[in-house]
Amino acid sequence: MEEYHRPCDEVGFNADEAHNIVKECIDGVLGGEDYNQNNINQWTASIVEQSLTHLVKLGKAYKYIVTCAVVQRSAYGFHTASSCFWDTTSDGTCTVRWESRTMNCIVNVFAVAIVL
Amino acid sequence: MEKRIRGGRMPSSQAPQQPPATPRKERRPSMFEKEAYAQILRERLRESVHDVQYVEPPFDDSVADIGKEWKSALAKLKFANSYRMEPLKKFQAHSVETKVQQILKESLKDVKYDDKVFSHLSLELADRILLAVKEFGYHRYKFIIKVLFIQKTGQAINIASRWIWDIAWDSWVAAKHEAETYVALALVFALYCE
Repeated sequence: MEEYHRPCDEVGFNADEAHNIVKECIDGVLGGEDYNQNNINQWTASIVEQSLTHLVKLGKAYKYIVTCAVVQRSAYGFHTASSCFWDTTSDGTCTVRWESRTMNCIVNVFAVAIVL
Repeated sequence: MEKRIRGGRMPSSQAPQQPPATPRKERRPSMFEKEAYAQILRERLRESVHDVQYVEPPFDDSVADIGKEWKSALAKLKFANSYRMEPLKKFQAHSVETKVQQILKESLKDVKYDDKVFSHLSLELADRILLAVKEFGYHRYKFIIKVLFIQKTGQAINIASRWIWDIAWDSWVAAKHEAETYVALALVFALYCE
């Protein structure tokens, strides 16, 4: 009986591609905009949804989780930590921090492999 | 002789006529063409700065090689088919939520906001929550825990998450703990490893 042999792609999660994709999405949505209370919901939703669609277009067998936090720029303290229980050879994460004059944006991408 | 005349004429009639300096309104080229992309980027990013904070797996060559060898060795190993289509015990979000909420409350009772303390408290809390979730005993599940601390100084913050996963078995839990000077948010994502 022939077993399905998974095509050999590069080892692990390609964080380079992921952070390029995320950077483009954030620039597209927030580039040149000022913090605006009315639009902020829409912006966070579109950043996350667009990043997700582009990541899926890569065509890899991965489950993705994208988290985005957008904060108005002022004097404040912000800590974030994450702890993960997964297969370190195939799964990975990438964090992109983006700043402009009026806001800070942190986007986190987690990719978990699907073993076909 | 004609050449000389032509040569003589040119400097006198040299009135530099520059084309009108209005920017031509062209259809904006696609974002994904290399040269156009750089131009659009320059236009948009006058005031913004970006930075890649943390990337895993680490790009150190030696570590990547180890992974590669292990991975190719694994490909040669053929695991017996378990014929299992679903997890033994499905992830129960509500029980995990109560547990995480309890951990947050216990660790953050009477804790005031402090820069240095919080930077390692966040890591410690993330590890503690991970251990607690593992204790529940959900087999073949991968977990991702995210802990956020936001100082309350009157600014607005918006946090959004989206995912692509198997909705039958994968789920998530969020727990919030609010104190006078800060808000703590813990997110737990559970993914079934097929």
